[in-house]
Amino acid sequence: MSDTWLITNLRAIRGRAYPRVIGSKREPSWLFFDITLPLLTVSAYAYIYKYMDAPPEFVGFVILGGAMTAFWLNILWAMASQLYWEKEIGNLQLYLIAPISRMSILAGMAVGGLFMTAIRAAATMIIGILLFGIALSFAQPGMIILVFMVTMVSLYGMGMMFASLYLLLGREAYHLSNLLTEPVYLASGLYFPVRALGFWAAAGASIIPMTLGLDALRQLFYPSSGSEYGFLPVNTELAILAVLCVVFLWLSKYSLAYMEKLGKTTGRLTLRWQ
Amino acid sequence: MQSAVEVKGLTRVFEPKKKKEGKSVTALNKVDLRIESGELFGLLGPNGAGKTTLLKILSTLLLPTAGKAFVAGFDVEKDFTEVRKRINMVSGGEISGYGLLTVKENLWMFTQFYGMKSSVAKQRIDELLTQFGLADKKDEKVRTLSTGQRQKMNVIRGFVTDPEIIFLDEPTLGLDVNASRVIRDFIVDWVQAKENRTVLLTTHYMMEADQLCDRIAIIDDGRILACDTPENLKKLVKMNRTLKLDVTSLKDTSKFGSIAGVEQFTFQDDAEKNQTYLKFILTHDSAVTDIISEVQRKGARILSLQKTEPTLEDVFIKMVGKGFE
Amino acid sequence: MAVSHDLRTFKNAAWLGWQMEANWTDPFVFATYSIVKPVAGSLILVFMYLVITGGETQTPFFSYMFIGNAFYMFVAEVLFGVTWVIHDDREHYMTLKQVYIAPIKFYIYVFGRAAIKIAITTVGVLVTLAFGVIWLGVEIDLGAVDWMVFIPALLVGLLTMLIMGLALGGVTFLTAKHGMGINEGIAGVFYVLSGVIFPITVLPEWAQSISYLLPVTYWMEALRRGLSPDLMTSLSGATGLSDFSNLEILLTLALSAVAFLFISSAIFRYADKTARRKGKIDWTTSY
Repeated sequence: MSDTWLITNLRAIRGRAYPRVIGSKREPSWLFFDITLPLLTVSAYAYIYKYMDAPPEFVGFVILGGAMTAFWLNILWAMASQLYWEKEIGNLQLYLIAPISRMSILAGMAVGGLFMTAIRAAATMIIGILLFGIALSFAQPGMIILVFMVTMVSLYGMGMMFASLYLLLGREAYHLSNLLTEPVYLASGLYFPVRALGFWAAAGASIIPMTLGLDALRQLFYPSSGSEYGFLPVNTELAILAVLCVVFLWLSKYSLAYMEKLGKTTGRLTLRWQ
Repeated sequence: MQSAVEVKGLTRVFEPKKKKEGKSVTALNKVDLRIESGELFGLLGPNGAGKTTLLKILSTLLLPTAGKAFVAGFDVEKDFTEVRKRINMVSGGEISGYGLLTVKENLWMFTQFYGMKSSVAKQRIDELLTQFGLADKKDEKVRTLSTGQRQKMNVIRGFVTDPEIIFLDEPTLGLDVNASRVIRDFIVDWVQAKENRTVLLTTHYMMEADQLCDRIAIIDDGRILACDTPENLKKLVKMNRTLKLDVTSLKDTSKFGSIAGVEQFTFQDDAEKNQTYLKFILTHDSAVTDIISEVQRKGARILSLQKTEPTLEDVFIKMVGKGFE
Repeated sequence: MAVSHDLRTFKNAAWLGWQMEANWTDPFVFATYSIVKPVAGSLILVFMYLVITGGETQTPFFSYMFIGNAFYMFVAEVLFGVTWVIHDDREHYMTLKQVYIAPIKFYIYVFGRAAIKIAITTVGVLVTLAFGVIWLGVEIDLGAVDWMVFIPALLVGLLTMLIMGLALGGVTFLTAKHGMGINEGIAGVFYVLSGVIFPITVLPEWAQSISYLLPVTYWMEALRRGLSPDLMTSLSGATGLSDFSNLEILLTLALSAVAFLFISSAIFRYADKTARRKGKIDWTTSY
């Protein structure tokens, strides 16, 4: 692996991330919808907890979950389905003939998407906190940042894997992403502590990195809630997330190489159809 | 000297997604081809002839079913990374890039996939934008460009990385005369400006192939039917003359093909104008009298008559057995 | 003659809608897809409820919430469906211009496409309700259903949604970028403010006064009163609409349908004309 190879691929990551980063600045009207829409759902769920006289941290749980939906939607629509759209507009073949690792394209999409989505998620969270007047604990800021980072790397690693698995899909890509919305919100416990699903169901759902990431963040933001509502100890969740990072990044590289070969053999790699 | 492209017994069969959904299609059938470094080579053929399939294999987007293909001496199947360092590709009607980026940003983004240093890339983009008359559009969003401007941008995208070999898939498709001319002139200048630059161009347009290409391969139904310089190809129909007749609507054209001295016969009806256009490739001038007699016998009237020398289109008709519809 | 032409347009659009919705996969996968999504959406609420109450689902509020959430699918899907026809045809299939210039009534085409969306959503609603009744003890007794309230409420409400969808479709003509966001936003506002999953009485007063202006508030109330009259008696007062009789609720709903018919037609006509003036009928954003 030469320096040139590394620099070429770093440049490729920067190149692919650029449209996503600049997009936020250039089309600020998107921000309004990306922040407002999750807030509406968050508000509805917050009110239902209020109606049921739930402990106050549940409104905070919902707001954290609502912020996390932004990342999941970004994974589904701007990572998993993205290569399908790139194929439709003719970019995919140009990426594939470039002398770079395909992982750089995926990494560029991930870095750009993560940056863009983090802004939206932060805004949703801040407005939610102000709107419902909730108080979060920042007793362990280092741990909060670490858990968030590891969650994001593993989550976007999963997104990169999805992107390659979606590579040969046509219109199914849209429906698959659509299908992976509510069921994943349910399984990951975005709006309630995942522990409520029962140990084995929650353990199964932990394959989706935001399940454990969100659970750990809730325990960190509400330190006293861990024993009652937390699924696993934060350190255990962090360790599992670290393993998921490696697994998903490796799987995404392997699956992309496999799907590209399959596509080149069957001729479906650059074929457009509706 | 190293060939830019070498293809040996290249075959590509597309299987249907599900067996019951249809038959397999042989897009390329044992194609042999050699393109020398520095050539501007044309691939001429009707829709579905296999041109794009060949380009996809050469640009590492598709694997052959059988046979071998080498680009710059590298096997496209095994040494694809080396191939990719040396190529680029532009297709007609491309809508690549992102609508929210400007022309310059889009071009810069694609240079990053080739590891170009930003400052070098930006300078080269500026030069090419000026050369293509797009300098004033560099800060415009891509979605605001006209078809011609967009295609000029696509062509710049292909050339900005300074490839050794560039694949151009119908690069002037659907463009007006001016935009086409700018692109054609650029291609010719580019290939001549430096040694060992190679262009493989597919086209529908006979005139384009005739004007630009050092050599042309005529491809149909996945096979290369002829491969030579435009002049030599035309010599294949050297002994022939072409006769074009516009006549009032002609219902029965069955006899024309069998008139002595007629080698090839094609016709086209224009129901709107109530006319029929007849085209003959003749081996003997004597056939002209018989053709005119046959037209009159069928009760049609001759509106115009033109005898021409062989063109690339005639070569194509002779080879493929039909014109471009 | 004209009626049969419109019927044919409707039928063909519905057929096309069905192909777009369903022919990307085999019937089994499609059926699973159509059921898993709504049931999962409802289960989120179920778990939210269970985690707070500790397991008891046979309460009036649980049924209130579950039924409202099931019928809300119509709100989301119909508003989304109508707008999606325009967005999808223009951005993805790029066929909007061909359909638009065809000698048919465009809104009939849109309604034909939306009809399939309603049909598929109806299956989702029925499956969700059946799931709730069988496994979660949701209070619906078919013998006790007040059909005279439920059926008119369902039909008038669906019509209102279609009419509102048409206005949003018009907006989509003009805002290629945000058409889908706007309709999701409006559906989201209904979710929060229309007493879908919790009574509007829990909202701040200013928000409640908006709730009373939204047709979905009356629609949800009427559907529940029709489908589970006993449940609504036990919750009476808590929903914030106890002053309204069944007839008043239905009349309010019908009046809002008529009002929106005028408003939506005007918006659609304006948007249609403006889109043509600005050349937006066949644009694509290609993001």
